[in-house]
Amino acid sequence: MSSMAPIKTKYGPLVEELSAAFASGDGTRATIALDAIVQLRDSSLFEELSKLTVSLQDALDRFRITNLAVKEMPDARQRLDHVLTMTDEAAHKTMDLIEHSAPIADRACRAATSLIELWQHYRRQEAGAPDLRAVIERTEEFLVAAQCDSDTVRRNLDEVLMAQGYQDLTGQIIRGVIQLVGELESSLVELVRLSHSHRNDGDSKEAVGAKVFGPAVPGVGHGNVVNGQQDVDSLLSGLGL
Amino acid sequence: MSKEIKFLIVDDFSTMRRIIKNVLSDIGYSDITEADDGTTAWPLLQHQHFDFLITDWNMPGMPGLDLLKAVRADERLNALPVLMLTAESKREQIAEAAQAGVNGYVIKPFTATTLQEKIEKILAARASK
Repeated sequence: MSSMAPIKTKYGPLVEELSAAFASGDGTRATIALDAIVQLRDSSLFEELSKLTVSLQDALDRFRITNLAVKEMPDARQRLDHVLTMTDEAAHKTMDLIEHSAPIADRACRAATSLIELWQHYRRQEAGAPDLRAVIERTEEFLVAAQCDSDTVRRNLDEVLMAQGYQDLTGQIIRGVIQLVGELESSLVELVRLSHSHRNDGDSKEAVGAKVFGPAVPGVGHGNVVNGQQDVDSLLSGLGL
Repeated sequence: MSKEIKFLIVDDFSTMRRIIKNVLSDIGYSDITEADDGTTAWPLLQHQHFDFLITDWNMPGMPGLDLLKAVRADERLNALPVLMLTAESKREQIAEAAQAGVNGYVIKPFTATTLQEKIEKILAARASK
């Protein structure tokens, strides 16, 4: 049970005044004493409320909730948007290259089929069969076209390969967002625990001080980033490398 | 130029290691070993001979910059050519890598031509020493 002493000290004189007013039958005096008691009680409530507000603000700062909500979550949304853009671009680039390569393979297949028929026709020496010179010329044409086409397909395949680099870049961004969500989760858990126990002695949560930033995301502040490989090369040559 | 070069590729994403491996094999290098971060790369570097190290920066465990510093601090490995292939694109980071003794720095996404050029430039510079 809490001690009566502070309550007596705080309210005692006013209660005595109220009793005296009752005893003397003075209504005005009693009303004034009652008002004074209520006012004193209200001011204590405001004091408590103000202390609670400060504790809440302190907890929000301590668990980085404010920073997470105001800065890092919007950044994370922007990062995930960028992941969508990158996966979309990579998928389209891959499909474009496939759509560009497939007709080349089809054309080569048709040309080879037609050339095989031409050779068979020549070998059978039927009426209207082409002469050897014509067959050789067609074969040469086919080989020249096949050389050029296979080179194009090979280059397209190389580009398809390079386009898969999106998995690494988007993976790094997603990993960063997963880390942030984990941090937010533990901050909220701490906050809930604090609200249950009214504990004030938790350790301050610091941002993970990793010294890596991952891929630059448009619109998300990464500071002083280079603008492409050429920029890197000139920076390095400026450093004597 | 000799193609008998033994490469160690260090990247935590297997897709990226595969891309680098393909680019290297297209330009004639086939002796390639892979590791997924500095912690797994370091024992390989200690127990096997490599002529060229290509490493990412941002990796769980031991990041590429720490691996580079460990290589430069090791008497037996300090002359190993190291190319950093990373998405880390802050000027301060590039300067830090240069200061730590990196031989080349390529930012992702990259082209096969850029990677080839940088590797050959580093190898040519090493051959002329």
